[in-house]
Amino acid sequence: MDSYDSDPDSGDKCNLNGDCSPLPDKLPNDLNHTKNIDDIATPSELNFDQEFAFEDPEITEKKKEIEACLENPDVINVDQWETFAKTKAGLISDEYRRKIWPLLVGVTQDELTEPPSLDELSTHPEYNQVVLDVNRSLKRFPPGIPYEQRVALQDQLTVLILRVIIKHPHLKYYQGYHDVAITLLLVCGDRASFPLLCRLSYGPKAPLAPFMQLTMQPTQHLLNYMLPVIRRADDRLAECLDKSGVGTMFALPWYLTWFGHSLNRYSDVVRLYDYFLCAPPLFPVYVTAAIVLHRAPQVFSCDADMAMMHCLLSRLPDDLPFEDILVVAQKLYEKNDPTDLESEVAALERREEEQRKVEDERMRRRRAGRVVPSPSLPYRLARYLPAPLRRTPRRTLLALTAAILAVYVYYKPELFR
Amino acid sequence: MSTSANESVPGLKQKKVFKIIVLGDSGVGKTCLTFRFCEGQFLDKSEATIGVDFRERTIKIRNEDIKLQLWDTAGQERFRKSMVQHYYRNVHAVVIVYDITKPETFHSIASWMQEIESHGLMGAPRVLVGNKCDCGTPESRLATTYAQRLADKYGMPLFETSALLDSECDNVESIFMTLAHKLYSKQPLRVISVEGELGPRRVTLSRQKRPLRNDTCLCS
Ligand SMILES: Nc1nc2c(ncn2[C@@H]2O[C@H](COP(=O)(O)OP(=O)(O)O)[C@@H](O)[C@H]2O)c(=O)[nH]1
Ligand SMILES: [Mg+2]
Repeated sequence: MDSYDSDPDSGDKCNLNGDCSPLPDKLPNDLNHTKNIDDIATPSELNFDQEFAFEDPEITEKKKEIEACLENPDVINVDQWETFAKTKAGLISDEYRRKIWPLLVGVTQDELTEPPSLDELSTHPEYNQVVLDVNRSLKRFPPGIPYEQRVALQDQLTVLILRVIIKHPHLKYYQGYHDVAITLLLVCGDRASFPLLCRLSYGPKAPLAPFMQLTMQPTQHLLNYMLPVIRRADDRLAECLDKSGVGTMFALPWYLTWFGHSLNRYSDVVRLYDYFLCAPPLFPVYVTAAIVLHRAPQVFSCDADMAMMHCLLSRLPDDLPFEDILVVAQKLYEKNDPTDLESEVAALERREEEQRKVEDERMRRRRAGRVVPSPSLPYRLARYLPAPLRRTPRRTLLALTAAILAVYVYYKPELFR
Repeated sequence: MSTSANESVPGLKQKKVFKIIVLGDSGVGKTCLTFRFCEGQFLDKSEATIGVDFRERTIKIRNEDIKLQLWDTAGQERFRKSMVQHYYRNVHAVVIVYDITKPETFHSIASWMQEIESHGLMGAPRVLVGNKCDCGTPESRLATTYAQRLADKYGMPLFETSALLDSECDNVESIFMTLAHKLYSKQPLRVISVEGELGPRRVTLSRQKRPLRNDTCLCS
């Protein structure tokens, strides 16, 4: 098969087996390159934490500080937890995460309640969809987990999701929500992950709330911030993406699941969650922009074709340097506040709307099944001329349209290919 | 969009691309079927599809290499409305999948047909696929005659198959090959976009089903 799918970077198999791309030769303590989930296969070892053969002294130091703070968490300000979560390596291990994630979003002890049983919830209208997605989430569990334990966790996952949408009935389940829920569940357990997931889903600044509306329109709008952010950092790259017509779909699962669905390495996922739990709601979109910027060379060498570009971008390589990417994303955020970008996003959406109208028109004709003889180009363009000009002699008109055409082709060459 | 067409080396033939969109309710096996066709095996750790996924495979028809692009879509309603829309553009053929053990997925076919129609794709080659024929008992499966009636009504071939069974591999193959052959035999009627400096050269055709410019991808 001589397609680019066989390229180790973009092949589907990479996502499935997770081990077809060569692992980079990196120092084991390089935090940008931690172990792949699939490499940790000891059946008894049910967590994803990796032991570093040799630990970065900076990290050893940070661990000590975190432990000191955890001795007496009540007197620690949330800013301190945020600093830990955002700086290099984040919260380092799941043992710390389990305690600190709830604190980052302000979950209190009395919110930790016993979950109801699955049977009580099975009549919910979303039950089937949730179960379907939960049953297909095998990849997200620690490798080697005993069957019974996995099934028990999957039931907890279903309960967790249904509990939230029962408590907040106007929130709609989306495919991908289960990827966020399972990350919380694996780290914090079923009691703490319920209030945690509620905080993330409900409220004016809840980061997942826009995804849970009746339609995906709000999500699409927020994803549209990606291109303007990229454009401000690298105009040529933005142009390249724009020209391919790739849109934002490739990044949709990233945003909807905070990368949980799209990354093979568990350690990368939880590291990102450390950050996202205390970042502004739109921050994951800036991380998306930073990833695309990081992959600019590949984008430039890709054909300006929607399918090729989608394929290239949607498959994330296993060796992304997330520590650097987070730093870049933070800088992008500081330099380009969402409010600054609003007009650019609005312009982009207007343009899309116009394209959609053209498309709708085309579709109507298709549906009518009519043969649409396309008028000769000068005449097509003549339609856009002001009425008085249209009555000018034919030769003048032709010359004029030719001139306009030349200018138009110059600026919009892709339309004429 | 297809810059590649303009950069093609004269004399060196560019691969034809056929774009096929795969539709159907959540969980019927769209992802597994496209995976089976493109990778030749069952995807045993299938995951929910979020938005749109993409797979492709190069096949040969009369010694010519053809690229089949399969757009695997999310089944959940909320993704359909605004997001998947974009991907109906320039699609050449449609696969609708249902699960023969779940009648409700069969009953959704009508709404999928509406969706196809609203995108002006009724003229495109379409096939109906009943998946998971390895599952359930003969009584619990949706009767073939019943499915066949609906397929006839919509004028599309019906396939019953399984993405899971290796023995069904050929059958899965024939689903997509049927479409590819249909598209292949249809395409002399289409515009061949010729790379020129002055924009597309127009060819007048008597039985053109779709507006010209958007078909260039078929032949690029
Ligand atoms: N028994 C059986 N299971 C299947 C078959 N195809 C898919 N599945 C399973 O059905 C579930 C949904 O499949 P998937 O391809 O993800 O469905 P999609 O939502 O339509 O993409 C997964 O758990 C698959 O393992 C099949 O032919 N036979
Ligand atoms: Mg799928």
